[in-house]
Amino acid sequence: MENLVLFLSSIRWQDAVDIILNSYILFRLYVLFRGTHVFRVLIGIALLWFSQRVAVALGLILTSWAIQGITAAAAFIIIVVFRNEIRSVLQAKNLKTILWGVPHQTVKTPIETIVDAAFELAGKKIGAIMVFPGMDDLDELIQGGISWDGLVSREMINSIFWHDNPVHDGAAIIEGNRIKKVGAVLPLSRRDDLPSSYGTRHRAAAGLAEMTDALVLVVSEERGSVVLAKGAEVRTVQNRDSLVRTLEEHIGSTKEQWGYKKKEKRELVIAALAALVLISAVWFSFTRGQERLVTFDIPVEYVNRNPATEIVDSSVNALQVGLSGSGTLIKSIRPDQVKVRLDLSKAAVGRNSFVITSGDIDLPPGVVLRKVKPSTVDVTLDIPGEKVLPVQVDWVGKLRKDLILTGAKIFPAKVKVKGGKTILDTLSTMYTEKVRLDQIEKSGSLKVNLALEPATLKIAADSSDSVTVDYFVKERASSLPAR
Amino acid sequence: MRRFWPLISPVILFVMAAGMGGAEAQEKNDVPANVIEQKLTLVEATVCEKMKRSTPFNKAIVFSSGLEKVYCYTSFDPVPREMVIYHEWYRRDKLKAKVRLTLKPPRWSTFSSMRIRKSDQGPWRVNITDPEGKILRIVRFSITE
Repeated sequence: MENLVLFLSSIRWQDAVDIILNSYILFRLYVLFRGTHVFRVLIGIALLWFSQRVAVALGLILTSWAIQGITAAAAFIIIVVFRNEIRSVLQAKNLKTILWGVPHQTVKTPIETIVDAAFELAGKKIGAIMVFPGMDDLDELIQGGISWDGLVSREMINSIFWHDNPVHDGAAIIEGNRIKKVGAVLPLSRRDDLPSSYGTRHRAAAGLAEMTDALVLVVSEERGSVVLAKGAEVRTVQNRDSLVRTLEEHIGSTKEQWGYKKKEKRELVIAALAALVLISAVWFSFTRGQERLVTFDIPVEYVNRNPATEIVDSSVNALQVGLSGSGTLIKSIRPDQVKVRLDLSKAAVGRNSFVITSGDIDLPPGVVLRKVKPSTVDVTLDIPGEKVLPVQVDWVGKLRKDLILTGAKIFPAKVKVKGGKTILDTLSTMYTEKVRLDQIEKSGSLKVNLALEPATLKIAADSSDSVTVDYFVKERASSLPAR
Repeated sequence: MRRFWPLISPVILFVMAAGMGGAEAQEKNDVPANVIEQKLTLVEATVCEKMKRSTPFNKAIVFSSGLEKVYCYTSFDPVPREMVIYHEWYRRDKLKAKVRLTLKPPRWSTFSSMRIRKSDQGPWRVNITDPEGKILRIVRFSITE
């Protein structure tokens, strides 16, 4: 329980947005590509990817490599092979449809085709009976028949009711754009008020219409008329328009429509949930799975420094930043994705001490800061300045015992140095690099570089970074000369 | 005059001997009126291994840390009035000692010394300053092995 609370508290709002956004993208891909071949291939790629993750988790190195290669190739192939299909999906729909709309997969009954076929049959005086179910279930009432599930077309309807067709006496059950069943036997009506001219087909039509909310269309073989039966009403249809209108009214309120809408809604909800679960799982495996630690040396960037000042010294140039995250994330992270930025806007001239906080460190998403070493950084700011300093030779070593170094002339005797004002204020002499006495036996001259200490000091452009030293040596006197 | 010479000469010799005696010995005690308004002038400043009879011995700019002491000798002429000067001994830029020395008119020589150890190796300087802290001269030298 405690772990769950800890886990939930560690989820940032960015994580929630991350999951929701990607779930929605996945859901949209499903909505746009469902029913196409692309979608099936996408599912295949997803399964491959999942298999690869499983192989990695199980430590199957070769398998995971192979699957990874296949997945990469498949992703490439899908784009090449299905480019036309992808283009048609993306081009045919406007931006709103792509981002928000749901293209309905309604199966539209081809009313025009049915009407044409009915009147053609009527014209040829070929008897026919077609049932368009409503909301009621007809399975209990219809007997026999042969399941067919063929697409509705004028030719098919003609051939079903053709005299020599074994199923021509039975009814054709039409749902959506498909003829579900042919040669079906309908219950006959027992009504007495039906015209005597009505034969068995009419009675069957009236019988089913009485018992259900189905619409039954009958083409009379003898008179070549088209009759509709719905509920208790049995009427002859005079023209095409009337039949079209009646069929449209009926189909618009049938369970065919309702059923499809309901089914589609359910399918979309399931797809949305599946996308959410899948993306959450992927997110979890990326960000939380197999926690790993890594340490980088990140150079410190100083920002918002007062332009009148300059950094003359800092305690460190780089910080050791310890990060943790999932193995996948940590493996993909590069040191240049981590930034340490120290805000110097409030820093004053002199030494400033900064405690490094997480706010000073930019991390890639999903990575957690574990440690920073050192945790404080000292930065010394100073105002740039110049100073002219006398030069002194830094003699070292041992002069021969019988000799005395009596003097030295330095050219130039003074040099101009640049650096922080605070440091310059503490300096009164510019020393040379160390000059050894061991080899000196007589007066002479040498050239020596200046020692820039601290290293932030610089020799001004109009000064030389080395000096010439003329030195003078004489024999050591053992006693005071006579006055 | 010849009659008085045997009497005067011991007095003159006594006065000369007294002038040569101490390290900070007065060179002349009489103060001419025209010197009072003159400016203190440093005529010599040097660092040496020893002081012998108030005179710097083995003046140099490099000294072995094996020596016991190093001396800074300064000579002023004129000295307008009795006053103090300072010898500020620095190793690199760090003040190690500040020695107060009294000068007396009309001219005066004086010195200070610094005991040196092995750890004192490096570049040194002595700032010779007047009572107001104005640097009259800087003498530079090094302590080596």
